[in-house]
Amino acid sequence: MDLAEIRRLVKLVEKHDIEELQVEEKDFKISISKGKKSSTPQQIQTPVIPHPQIDSVDVDSFKHQHTDAPVQHVTSDKKKDENVVEICAPMVGTFYRAPSPDSDPYVNIGDQIKPGNVLCIIEAMKLMNELEAEISGEIIDILVENGQSVEYNQPLFLIKKA
Amino acid sequence: MIKKVLIANRGEIALRIIRACKELGIETIAVYSEADKESLHVRFADEAICIGPAPARESYLNMPSIISAAEISNADCIHPGYGFLAENADFSEMCESSDITFIGPTANMISNMGDKIFAKKAMQKAGVPVIPGSEEAVQNKEEAVELARDIGFPVIIKAAAGGGGKGMRIIRNEEEMATAFSMASTEAEAAFGNPDLYMEKYFESPRHIEVQLLGDGKGKVLALGERECSIQRKHQKLIEESPSPIVDASLRAKLTSVAVKGAESVGYRSAGTIEFLMDTNKNFYFMEMNTRIQVEHPVTEMVYNIDLVKEQIRVAAEGNLDSLHLLPEPYGHALECRINAEDPFNNFLPHPGVITSFHEPGGMGVRVDTHAYAQYKIPPYYDSLLAKLITYGIHREEAISRMKRSLEEFIIEGIPTTIPFHKQVMNDENFVKGMINTHFLDNFKLNPELKE
Repeated sequence: MDLAEIRRLVKLVEKHDIEELQVEEKDFKISISKGKKSSTPQQIQTPVIPHPQIDSVDVDSFKHQHTDAPVQHVTSDKKKDENVVEICAPMVGTFYRAPSPDSDPYVNIGDQIKPGNVLCIIEAMKLMNELEAEISGEIIDILVENGQSVEYNQPLFLIKKA
Repeated sequence: MIKKVLIANRGEIALRIIRACKELGIETIAVYSEADKESLHVRFADEAICIGPAPARESYLNMPSIISAAEISNADCIHPGYGFLAENADFSEMCESSDITFIGPTANMISNMGDKIFAKKAMQKAGVPVIPGSEEAVQNKEEAVELARDIGFPVIIKAAAGGGGKGMRIIRNEEEMATAFSMASTEAEAAFGNPDLYMEKYFESPRHIEVQLLGDGKGKVLALGERECSIQRKHQKLIEESPSPIVDASLRAKLTSVAVKGAESVGYRSAGTIEFLMDTNKNFYFMEMNTRIQVEHPVTEMVYNIDLVKEQIRVAAEGNLDSLHLLPEPYGHALECRINAEDPFNNFLPHPGVITSFHEPGGMGVRVDTHAYAQYKIPPYYDSLLAKLITYGIHREEAISRMKRSLEEFIIEGIPTTIPFHKQVMNDENFVKGMINTHFLDNFKLNPELKE
């Protein structure tokens, strides 16, 4: 399920007399509900979401993850290429794309990386830990948002190996 | 006010804590290793965070990982359960410095009571009887004989630097001392590089009696009776009960007042247990203090009609025991059998694997605390405890008959379990009479024909 699809579902709920909509796929579950007082779906903040956070949608994420693969996530067909690998979080913490709020991100989609390049920071217990690349390749996707909480082995980047 | 608790544990105790939190309206955060992804505690919690790969050292014992998980999920408190980090003073301290309430005692209490010598001295000072013995290493055979006369035969000499039976000798009279002392000393030197020996009174058939305590951390401690845990195999408890068949109201009053005195002397906070050794004359001696909730806590819960995990959370939230109204005496009798994924007919060898069929017993007076279910894959990385089967009756006979019935009803297939072992113990004449002690299983003959 991608962003466009989610937006479509949100519009659906908004437009029609639907109070709650739940959709479940193999490794993704989404629940959209409308508050009774307002006419627009309510915004629900959950601090721990591995998928992009969207207004007015409560994405069931750290709950009920039934997949076979040890590393699971939902995005695109980009992964089907055998040359594409995931770089996953080696620890629990908060993901930051740049060394500080006003700096530029370490990397962007399309960048070429090689071993030793710093890709991001994972902050845990007030310590900033730089995550370095161990392979060479091109960043074809960044799977988490700046400031998002991540768990152990959560996929962060998709790299097309050089 | 506590809104969110992170459970730093797994298996049945994690589920136990989640249940207590749910009833208190508190949100729960489970942490899990990659091996526990399909675990029940992960499914039942409101949120779950993967903290590392399977090995405990990298997950359930990984302090930074767990604290980090508490930070990103905004947990108010961490409940450590039992085992893992429950008695790790550093972890308790890390929680406090990260502004997270540790549901348990303070780091100081944990490290003090964890030091056996310190604990013994502290209890002695508080007037708690301790096992008579030498304060330091026994220098030579002559001193050994002197000391043994003071303590009273039989005595046991043990290696100061280690355990496991090496450098250990039981001495029943003065004549045996010289040889025993030399041999033990040589053995200790060979095994641990240190020939030092210390001496303690030896009890022939002691009973393991422990007292459940709850402290407010401000000087007040309440006791919730005793448990007997004499049925042990290699110092691992297998069957526990409350009350002890050997303890009457007046002995209970003595035991609990002594235990309370000991715990109050260290200003104890949260749930804890003081373990005693009881000799055949009903004299009891301090063994150690466990500064955590224990595996066998349910038997106390049944006879005192109390939820100990909730009380731990309450005392952590409120800082007092004011709302607690205890039954003055235990009511009825409760038994617990630990169902492990072990083969009792093959030296209790642990057996990870897949449970193909699982059906819990039920009905009056039956409680099952378990994280297992049909199709559950038991990981090989952690302990073998699968389920705790607890029965309650108006008296011990009823608790035993309910245990027999429940063991018959309990179906676990796909892996061997200790159910057949427990069935045989429930039918043992001495067990039924309450004639048990810590050597019970040494003399117990498991019938290899009764595998069901």
